[in-house]
Amino acid sequence: MACGCRLVWHIVTAVRRPTAWVRGQVRAAVVAVGRLATGLATSAVALGTLLLAIVVVLPAAHLALRAVRSAADRERARLSRWGPRLPGPGPVPAGLRAALSDPFVRRELAWLPFHALGGFLIGVLGLTLPLYAAEDLTFPLYYRLLRPEDGAPGVGWWWRIEGLHDALLVALTGLGWLVLAVAAGPLLSRIQAAPGRRLLSPPPGSDLSLRVAELTATRAAALDAHAVELRRIERSLHDGAQNRLVAVTVLLGAARRALGRDPARADEILGQAQDAAELALGELRTVVRGILPPVLDDHGLAGALDGLAAGCAVPCRVEVDVAPRCAASVEATTYFVVAEALTNVVKHSGATEVAVTVRRYGDRLRVAVEDDGRGGAEEGLGSGLAGIRRRVEAYDGRLTLASPPGGPTRMRVELPCGS
Amino acid sequence: MRIVIAEDDALLREGLALLLKAEGLEVAATVGDPAGFLAAVDEHEPDVAIVDVRMPPTHTDEGIVAAVEARRRRPGLAVLVLSAYVEQAFANDLFAVGASGLGYLLKERVGRVEEFLAALHRVAGGGTAVDPEVIGQLLARNRTQDTLGGLSPRELEVLALMAEGLGNTAIAERLVVTEGAVHKHIRNIFAKLGLAPDDRADRRVTAVLRYLGR
Repeated sequence: MACGCRLVWHIVTAVRRPTAWVRGQVRAAVVAVGRLATGLATSAVALGTLLLAIVVVLPAAHLALRAVRSAADRERARLSRWGPRLPGPGPVPAGLRAALSDPFVRRELAWLPFHALGGFLIGVLGLTLPLYAAEDLTFPLYYRLLRPEDGAPGVGWWWRIEGLHDALLVALTGLGWLVLAVAAGPLLSRIQAAPGRRLLSPPPGSDLSLRVAELTATRAAALDAHAVELRRIERSLHDGAQNRLVAVTVLLGAARRALGRDPARADEILGQAQDAAELALGELRTVVRGILPPVLDDHGLAGALDGLAAGCAVPCRVEVDVAPRCAASVEATTYFVVAEALTNVVKHSGATEVAVTVRRYGDRLRVAVEDDGRGGAEEGLGSGLAGIRRRVEAYDGRLTLASPPGGPTRMRVELPCGS
Repeated sequence: MRIVIAEDDALLREGLALLLKAEGLEVAATVGDPAGFLAAVDEHEPDVAIVDVRMPPTHTDEGIVAAVEARRRRPGLAVLVLSAYVEQAFANDLFAVGASGLGYLLKERVGRVEEFLAALHRVAGGGTAVDPEVIGQLLARNRTQDTLGGLSPRELEVLALMAEGLGNTAIAERLVVTEGAVHKHIRNIFAKLGLAPDDRADRRVTAVLRYLGR
């Protein structure tokens, strides 16, 4: 309507007073330019804020999501203790976009306000009821210590306590609190748990299909890792011990031929043959250690990792707390993961110190390798990280790597203990 | 006899060179990779090349590819392929287009110096050297398929040595029989297997390998 009127007014003015109309148009244009300029200014501020948000908040956002996951996992563990088990989904997917599209993360974000506010209030209420009951029930025993105008707990200061009669009445209220606590307690607890039960369980339908997809992938990874492993062993046998032994036979052949002609020369060649045989033995030892380090059997993970640390060119602290022991294959995987990680640290990081921590939490084994090097580690730069990932995923484990340019590099591996 | 050695394992390469030089053979060059090998063949024009199958960069069949290329560049070049493993299927491929001036031996045969030198000279002279292991695999397979039932044990021995590339004289020496006896055995073998008799060792090898590898 207003627009129609305005249009009519424009037409009327333009026809009756052309100059006034033109002047009006120009003025409007000037005003518009001014508005556009100020709009540009605020939009610049908004753009700056957006960029700031992207630069500052996004990295922190993933951190926040991880914190939410950690809180949710605690709640899951709590709820699993007295109801249907709520399986944890493992680490938050890397990358904010992937994390935000993860159904687990979304449900956790929905759960968070419920539990943070409602859960908190219900918790306070649920604990206050029995507290009042206890305080009021025992009130006749200690009311003399209080001033009459102090009132009684859960009853209020407006009730002056004048003698045993009133104190006994307070005790009666305590009985009321007790009845209420007994009656409402379980209900409150169920209400408090409801958002968690509902939102922290695996998303309906996604549960099994996700698991199937994951198992299929890890099974393929397992076979792949197995083939890679066999190829590695074959290669190291072929290039190492086998070639050395061939050299031994060649040198022995040469020595036998030289024996008649030039015994001193023959002795020299025999010396070379012996050296080659010793090399072959050394390389066989390396291969054997690479298949399953005997030290694992004898000294457990702690001893084996101490050995690795002692042989590491970068000063290395090792902390191992694994009791009871894990399955042999898991220990071997842990050993290789640490060995490979330390090789990376020595080769690429330029670190002056590296810390290896291995701890068992329930049925999960957590391995962390942290160095103070230059960071920037990436999979697929010939760093052996892809190999580590294959090995870890073959055991249904998880690998997370944080290595910002400038360091530090922190590699975390979680493996099921299998025992 | 001028020889070029292509082997990526340094210890083995030098060991081989040492042994051949001690036998009075001329080792013109030792190289560790296919490119170096082809360059050495061009530069030194050797009579024989001793080539390892697995060489850098992929450590699969670089040696074979390089040997084929070297023979294309220098048609008369004899090539003795050394390998840590021998496979009958692989031998079939290698000798498919002719076995003249070609050898395929396990690396450790080098240690049996006299036999190795004999094989080397045979290959250098346009003959053939097939590793006994390959022949063993072939014979085992044919035995399970019972296609050699008609051969006597002695004829089987002769067949194996013949398939390795040995000439009649060498076979006679190995088995400590007369050359005439070897000749007779070979005639019988060819007759029993239904092959056309051939006195040239290398063509005999291809015929026998083809028969055994069917």
